[in-house]
Amino acid sequence: MSRTYNIIKYICLLTWAAFVVFPFLWALSTSFKDANAVTSGARYIPWVEFEPSLQGWTSLFASGSQGINIVTPFMNSASVTLLASIVSLSLGTLAAYGLSRFSYKAGFIKNADITFFFISQRIMPPIVLAIPFFLMLKEIQALDTILGLVIVYVALLLPIAVWVMTDFFASIPKELDEMAMIDGCTPIGAFFRVILPNSTAGLVVAGMFCLIFGWNDFFFAFILTFTETQLLPVAIVSLNSSVTPWWSLSAFALISVTPLALIAIFVERFMSRGSLAGAFR
Amino acid sequence: MLSLKNLSTADRKRPLSNLDADLKSGKIYTILGRTGAGKTELLRAVMGLDDISGGHLELDGQDLAKRPVRKRQMSMVYQQFINYPHLTVLKNVAFPLRRQGLSAEDASGRALVALELVGLAGFEGRMPSELSGGQQQRVAIARAIVKKARILLMDEPLANLDYKLREKLREEFPRLLAQNADGIILYSTTEPAEAMQLGDEMIVMHEGHILAKGPPEEIFEAPSTVEVAKLISDPPVSIVDGKIVGGKLVLGETVLPENADLKLPMDGSVKVGIRPDALSVGGDMPATVVLAEFSGSDTIVHVTFEFGAAVMLVEGIHEFVPDQSIAVSMDTSSLLLFSEHGDNITERRSDG
Amino acid sequence: MLKSKHFFLLPALLTLAAIILFPLIFTVRVSFSSWDVYQSGLDYIGGRNYARLIEDTRFWESLLRLSGMSFITVTLQYVLGFALALAVWQNIAGGRIFRVLFLVPMMTTPVVMSVIWRTVFHESLGPANDLLSMVGVGPVPWLSSAAGAFVSVVIVEVWQWTPFMFLLLFAGLVSLPREPYLAAAIDGASPMRTFWQVTFPLMAPISIGAIIIRLIEASKIMDTVYVMTSGGPGTATETPSYYIYIRGLREFQVGYSAALSLAYLVLMIIILTIIAKLLMRFLVGKDD
Repeated sequence: MSRTYNIIKYICLLTWAAFVVFPFLWALSTSFKDANAVTSGARYIPWVEFEPSLQGWTSLFASGSQGINIVTPFMNSASVTLLASIVSLSLGTLAAYGLSRFSYKAGFIKNADITFFFISQRIMPPIVLAIPFFLMLKEIQALDTILGLVIVYVALLLPIAVWVMTDFFASIPKELDEMAMIDGCTPIGAFFRVILPNSTAGLVVAGMFCLIFGWNDFFFAFILTFTETQLLPVAIVSLNSSVTPWWSLSAFALISVTPLALIAIFVERFMSRGSLAGAFR
Repeated sequence: MLSLKNLSTADRKRPLSNLDADLKSGKIYTILGRTGAGKTELLRAVMGLDDISGGHLELDGQDLAKRPVRKRQMSMVYQQFINYPHLTVLKNVAFPLRRQGLSAEDASGRALVALELVGLAGFEGRMPSELSGGQQQRVAIARAIVKKARILLMDEPLANLDYKLREKLREEFPRLLAQNADGIILYSTTEPAEAMQLGDEMIVMHEGHILAKGPPEEIFEAPSTVEVAKLISDPPVSIVDGKIVGGKLVLGETVLPENADLKLPMDGSVKVGIRPDALSVGGDMPATVVLAEFSGSDTIVHVTFEFGAAVMLVEGIHEFVPDQSIAVSMDTSSLLLFSEHGDNITERRSDG
Repeated sequence: MLKSKHFFLLPALLTLAAIILFPLIFTVRVSFSSWDVYQSGLDYIGGRNYARLIEDTRFWESLLRLSGMSFITVTLQYVLGFALALAVWQNIAGGRIFRVLFLVPMMTTPVVMSVIWRTVFHESLGPANDLLSMVGVGPVPWLSSAAGAFVSVVIVEVWQWTPFMFLLLFAGLVSLPREPYLAAAIDGASPMRTFWQVTFPLMAPISIGAIIIRLIEASKIMDTVYVMTSGGPGTATETPSYYIYIRGLREFQVGYSAALSLAYLVLMIIILTIIAKLLMRFLVGKDD
């Protein structure tokens, strides 16, 4: 029984792995095609089934009318995502710590309600805020700017940071904070000197989710930017709707997703060591 | 001097009620009580970790209520081994000194001395997670004594350690606690023997109240109430109902022989406290064994007489079988007499 | 009166409130108007927008469609994610490579992958139909038929988010205590029995948490639909988000789309809270 079970298990794993890898391989192969290769039906293996060309890739870095700029959107995405993630992680971690250690009261509103307020922001469909954000940014003249996007993204990512870190802090015994205070720390000092250094697991998970949801956002970037500050997802969609050829599109797509795909390696190591366990309870 | 004046807390599960105590410098106070008696709550209230709902807590005449935890000049050792996971053993012990403003060198120096004292010389570079339970607790103790705080609080520090380790550390305590000789030491425990051995004075707690205060021997010799009597020995003192009839002490149908030392009160109902070592095998009182268990190198036997149940401590390891009939004799000189309300009314002629 | 506990909570709370409060209030106000961006001021038309949306079948149909889509995708993601997590949980050859691979899709940008998937599902030039034709299955109208479009969106969603379930469930499996498994082994329980009696119950809290989170995110699906099917063909894959987008940002019926947005938000909060509470109750009940 064991033997056949293992073989079946492997076949299933390989099947799913193939499913996962397929779009990437297809895009990779397509990125080396030219007009001939694409229009004569689906082709897969370069040299065997079609003549490869570098058009797709070179067009990304060429300038002029034939050129598709990938560098600028890439840098824009990177700056916006990093800035928004850092701000969200910082503020969110502080808030999560407060909610897990102290009790707040304002009328009938208590800790659980405040936490719910943060977390329920994720339920908000982007569409609800799209036009108001547009008008708001227009008022402060932050449309089509990095600052404007960072402001909006902080509102999106802060709830995630609070969500993950609240769960995480619940798993750190309060006695540790108490010990720090007994030894002479103020409550704030206890947080920075003792709790924070022991929070790497949670911070990594929260930071990872912030980066993912930030880098991968399309909708808000789409509504709130035009020409000055284009982010990667918006850039590729605008390419998609014009006559951009498949090969450039595929190359562009691959470059867009590679940075975060590499994070997966790091996450796996973290996840397998069981270090994430504390972060998810 | 640390004073508790009518101290109460409003904790939902285990409130403290109207505690009064004056704790003087240079003494070790052991707090004895069962689980749930309020020992931890008392220590936490003194430390400032939990709020006081009534009464006062004063240190040298100054009210501590508003003083934040870090300014109370106190140190604490928890029952669970609490150390800073991200710091080495040395940095763990040096932590409070650094917070006091000592330089890294000075703090390390004193920390090393403390580590030697608890027997962990050579462990400075290790991380707490690499240590055994006993070693972790010793790091915690080192950290607590290194700053020579005015008040040292210890909440059942040995409870989570195994038997052998507990005995070993208990022997070392007088030496360790000498570091804080000028301070006030509060040590809570559920074990009567430990409380009496370590404490200069003992505080007996039950259900959020202080039942007795004073030198351990006094409390042991003459527990003020039935409740106290039940708490101060392990195995516990057995309480049975009895009567004084015609100047004699009668338990059920059994008339006990007169004892030269024990002055019996007037005729009436009494409660009688039988110490476990007052009973021994062989005698003229029939009893049935309910249960026997080994403890250390002795045997604890739960028996029933016709007048009630009692617990007997027999030296050595002996086999007893449930429902076995045995004959027991009682040493009446150590009996305790209590009124119906539970107050100690024992009078001995030897007390003068 | 500022205590240190305020230092922790207030920055985040104030920041979030500052950023979203105005937009929310504005949306509420606009929902009671008939603004279409060209007018300079906001009129007041009472609850007419809300009356309209109650009778707007297209809206309610999109809600139904979303429910079906979410239910199917989240179920598939959960089952597959759990199966994958179990498969790579104990050490197997190449385990690391599998685990990394299985995580990758959730890190990718949905819009970007949708652009690629669009080429994959291209009916004459894409590999999907090409590969199917090799096993004798006729060309499937992936993007030009209602059913095909729905299925292609489901496929992409499952591809994209199963890793999320995989991650959460795997982390949960890794943190399970050993003892129940030793007991089960001693009792001679088969793998199936061990799973249903030991693993599944122990994983209940994490499963529920993962499902709730995934449902919340799934309810907002927009990017994939926008790129791959544009809500179509017709309204075959039109989700409420997409419909509101059309009304508001294509037809500029801003007042109406504001009303739709708020109605949608309130509905989502209510429905998701009910589902969350039901699942929690189920969890607590299981402990008896």
